[in-house]
Formats: sequence, C-alpha cells, structure tokens
Amino acid sequence: MHVEFFGVPRERAGISELELHADTLGQLLGTLAERMPSLSEIIQHDRLHPAFVANLNGDRFVTDPHTPLGADDFVLILSADAGG
Amino acid sequence: MASGYHGCVLRIDASSGHAERVPVPDDVLRAYLGGSGLGTRLLLDAGAAEADPLSPEASLVFAFSPLVGSPLTTSAKFAVVSKSPLTGRINDSLASSGFAVAGKGVGCDALVITGQAPEFSVIVIDAEGVEDGALPAVRLEPAADLRGATCRDTEERLRAKLGPAFRIASIGPAGERLVRYATISHDGRHAGRGGSGAVLGAKRIKAIAVRGKRRTPWARPDELTALSRDLSKRSFGPATAKYRELGTATNMLVFNRFGSLPTRNFQQGTFDGADSLSPETLSATRAKTRESCVACTIGCEHIYGFGKDGAKAGVRVEYESLFALGSLCGVSDADAVLHASKRCDELGIDTISAGGTIAFAMECVEQGWLDAPWLTFGSGTALLRAIELIGARQGLGDLLAEGSRRAAAVIGHGSIAIAPQVKGLEIPGYEPRALQTMALGFAVGARGADHNRSGAYEVDFSDKVDRRHVTLDAVRHAIDTEDKAAMMDSMILCKFLRGVFEDFYGESAVMLGAVTGWDVTSDELRETARRIVGAKREFNLRAGWTPAEDTLPDRFLKTPLPNDPEAALSRERLDALVTEYHRQRGWE
Repeated sequence: MHVEFFGVPRERAGISELELHADTLGQLLGTLAERMPSLSEIIQHDRLHPAFVANLNGDRFVTDPHTPLGADDFVLILSADAGG
Repeated sequence: MASGYHGCVLRIDASSGHAERVPVPDDVLRAYLGGSGLGTRLLLDAGAAEADPLSPEASLVFAFSPLVGSPLTTSAKFAVVSKSPLTGRINDSLASSGFAVAGKGVGCDALVITGQAPEFSVIVIDAEGVEDGALPAVRLEPAADLRGATCRDTEERLRAKLGPAFRIASIGPAGERLVRYATISHDGRHAGRGGSGAVLGAKRIKAIAVRGKRRTPWARPDELTALSRDLSKRSFGPATAKYRELGTATNMLVFNRFGSLPTRNFQQGTFDGADSLSPETLSATRAKTRESCVACTIGCEHIYGFGKDGAKAGVRVEYESLFALGSLCGVSDADAVLHASKRCDELGIDTISAGGTIAFAMECVEQGWLDAPWLTFGSGTALLRAIELIGARQGLGDLLAEGSRRAAAVIGHGSIAIAPQVKGLEIPGYEPRALQTMALGFAVGARGADHNRSGAYEVDFSDKVDRRHVTLDAVRHAIDTEDKAAMMDSMILCKFLRGVFEDFYGESAVMLGAVTGWDVTSDELRETARRIVGAKREFNLRAGWTPAEDTLPDRFLKTPLPNDPEAALSRERLDALVTEYHRQRGWE
C-alpha cells in the first residue's frame, strides 16, 4: 500500500510518502518503526501515539492494529490535532 | 475571597475618565471563573445584550482569570468580550501575553469600559505606587497624534512616552473607522474575531495602557509549583509537537489532501496552490524564526520573512490567515498572501473575515452581481488592494468593511446564499460539507461560525464519526468540544495544550484548587462549562436570537462539494442535528 506522511510525521520521516506491504495496520506501523527509528516518538509498537492518527484512503480514521489493509490502500499518518 | 482573584472589576467610564472598583462576589467568580465566562456574566449584568455595540452605552470587557500570573504555562491570556458589531450577538475573543499580567496587576479581575471619550484618547491605568486594595490611577490622554497608527506603532510610541513597564492593547486604523471585524491587538497577538476593535473605536479609544504588579496569593503554592513543572514538561511532548515544529499552518496540506480546504469562496475543497502556501515549502524558501507569548513553553508562533529580508521583518503565519487570504481567494502567490496577512495585522483587521468577505465579493464579480472587474480570484494584487480599501473604508472597501452578510444584503441577487458566514461571522478554514460535525458546531455557535468555541473538527478527524455522513450520535461529541472550549477560555489556558490532558476536567480541578483553594471537582467544572455556554445563549436570546439563526448558508445545504460528491449535507439533516443539539442542551 501507499503511505503518506503529513506535518510532524513527515518531518520525522524525512519523506512525504513511500510504498510498503503489510496485511494490517499494526503490521504496517511495526514495519515503519523498524525502518525509521526517527518515528519512535510517533509509533509505539503497533499503535500510534494518541497525538497522531491514521486514515484509510481519506475516508476512515483507524486505530485498531488488526485493521486489514489491501495492496491498493492509501494510509495517511498525521497529527491528531486538526485545528488552528 | 478566593486566592487567585482580586475580587473586583475596574469599571471605567470613557466619557469622563471616572473609574471605580466594583466588588464581584465569590460565588459569581466560582460560577464563571474568568475570561469568556466572567466577561459574559458581567455583560449580562450590565444589560449589554440590548445595547447597540457601537453606542456609548455599550460595554467592553477585558477579563483576566485566576490563573493569570501563575507559573502554569500558557496562562497569560485575557478575553475581550462584548456584543459584536458584526453579528449583533455575543463576542468573546482571546489574546495573550503581557497585557494579561499587567492588566490583572492593576488590581482587578476585569476591566469594564463604557461611555465614549469626548476626544480621541488613550485610557491609562497605572497602579505603580498605589497601595494594595486602592483604586489605581486612571486617566484619559489625548491621542490625536496616534490617529492612523498601526497597532505595533501605537504600542511602541506609547511605551516610549509612558514607560517600558506599560503594556498596551490597541486598535489600528480599521478600528478607528469602525470596520466591523476590526481587532484589538497586543504585542502582535490579536483578539481577532467579531469586531471588538470597532467597539473600542466607537468609544474613541485608541488604546488601553496598563501598568501594575499586584499579585494575588496562591492557595497552595508548593502544589501549584509542582503542577506547573509537570504541565511545562508535558508541553514539550508529542501532543504539542505540531505547534512547536510547524505551527497551525501545517493544516494546509492535510486539509487539501482530505478535500476540506475551502477554496474560491467554498466553491471547491482542494487548491492547486496549497503546496506553495504550506509551512513545509515556506520553511525551505524563507527566513524563519519562532516566538512565544509571555509564560508559554510551546512557542507556536512561526514568523516568516519576505524575500531576502530576515524573519524579524516578516509576519506570523497561521493556518486561518493562509487559508482565508490564500486558497479562499484563490491566491497561491505566497508573497502576496504573507503581505496581505501582515497588512491585516497592521490595519487591525481579522484575517478570516477579511478573506471571507473579499472571496465572497470575488465570486459576486464572477457572477456579474458586483461591478469591480479588478477583483478576481487568484489575483494577489486585487487581494492587497481590497484590504487597503477596507482599512480605509474607501470605495468598495466601505461595503466590504461591513462583512459578507451586510454586503450581500446590498448586492442582492440572492448572494446571501454564498456569503460564507453564520450569524454574520465569516466561516473559518473547515469545509462544512466534508467535516459535518464541524458544520453543526458552526451552525449553533453563539458567536457565529467559529473554530475556537467549538472544536468539533477534532471529532471529524477521529474514528468517532464518519465525517461526511454524520448521524445524531455526533451531537454529544460536538457538545463535549464546545464545553471544553468554554472551560479553557474561562480558566484560561491555551487550547494548544488540550492534547496533553488525559483527564481534562479532573486535572483542571486540581489546578484551580491549588490556585483558588476551592474544593472543586471535575463534575463541578463540567457543570460550570455548561453554565458558561448557557450564559452566552442567554445573552443572544436577550439580543434577539431566533432558532432560524442556527443554520448554514444555502450553498452548503443545496450543493455537494464539487470535488467530493459524497460530501453533501442536506438542510433536513442539519436541521435534525441542530434540533438534537438543542434537545441535549435542554433548549428546546
């Protein structure tokens, strides 16, 4: 699937997007944490820190690590504070 | 009297310069706390809901809080509360920094300004050398030489004249000319929304200068110190990283990705030029520095320079200004947008209402309803020209200085359907059709469409609702965010801290207890929040509110968002949400 970073996660990752394979959200986050130690503050094992959220395809916000992911999915990772 | 308070307000009649200390009972302070809550209560007691906000009878309140002057991070804040000349409803705008500390330091919990000065003046309030508990020295000083001065110039010139310990809240040229969305500014921060600057301008008051160091005792100082250290430590963590590292402007790319970035007067939810206005791009191409309010450990203010100039000569960039003067007007030229934002600050104009009203006028021109062919979407030159005209109330600017609702009434052609406002207040940067819990928050907001009094967008950006198909279940979440905002604005702490609390009401109760000595509980504070929201409602009822006001313009209820057909909100569904909101509030 396609992973997009916004805001602080993008700053930490140093990139805006990448392609990865994972069957679930938890697996995806675990892989990201392993590949990108700079995300350690954002990803806690297989979950995001409460200050950050994940969204599937611009539609649904997801938190359950068991959330299934498909090869064509877009996963967006951003700050939970959406306001200004 | 509770610790953390002086137990009185300073009432000043601008007509004569006469001042008096008026006691405020403990039970009123405990029921309304400070800031927005106390300010609303004082206005209700003064009969301000029934008065013309630009008349001498109108009251303007600067309300401090029990936490001001404490070591708690972000507590140096004050609320400016009045009837809005833009909406005719309650208006509470918050600003930060030294004015809050020095204002409370003159020995009161709020300033209440009434009357109208015989000539253009500055109100000087000086507690230096005055005994504790005594009336500070209050005088009117002629200010003809400050006519037309920007807010920053006014502060610099008054401090040079009066002394460096004075802290000054002032209006710019727009406030002098009664632009209905003029700001009151202090140290580069603005009580921005709803036109409090016009209220002060109508009183012929250019500025209020305060000097005072009176402290209120803390009930449990050791506990308060420990709480303050802990809160500061948490303010350096992940929950505030967004504000520290990029600022609110980082919303630009997020909202664009979600198709919820208001563009070309809400005709679209995505903007091709979003990237050029994002802090990610601005940071890479411009000088940048960061600043903080007094007593703040977050440091959310990101100042960007122009061209090769250093950031010190630049402008503070916020998402709301970028969206309103950028995507909403279709302008992607970052230099033009930053200059427009800076000019709004200098003139003392709310950027959201300025951008909203100009974008509305641009669409009216596009429709052939307004004869101003130069005012086109995408033109930075037109944007800057319109801002200058508004600040001077010249030509078309005189109409646009009235805000989009009044402008629509003059333009006609049914243009009210596309005027981006609720109760007359221009809508901030959240597309209601794509963020429907926020749409409800906008519709029912006491001061109109507002993202600071309802944080319902956070519900839309969570797994609690489906943001484009919200159901009645969203209502309780919207109410929660509104109550929490009322508490933060009355206690007062900066909302950028909201993410650090695991138990907001419980932790707030502990902090308030350490300051005041009250045996306050989280349940009591939940009730207090509801009482404050209810007081704003009572103000609006007295000012003539009707249920028909709790809605959105036709555009949002008749047309799906073109870039996202799923983002559609019918009048029937919004009405159902509003009815359920009223029911849960007990306001049927």
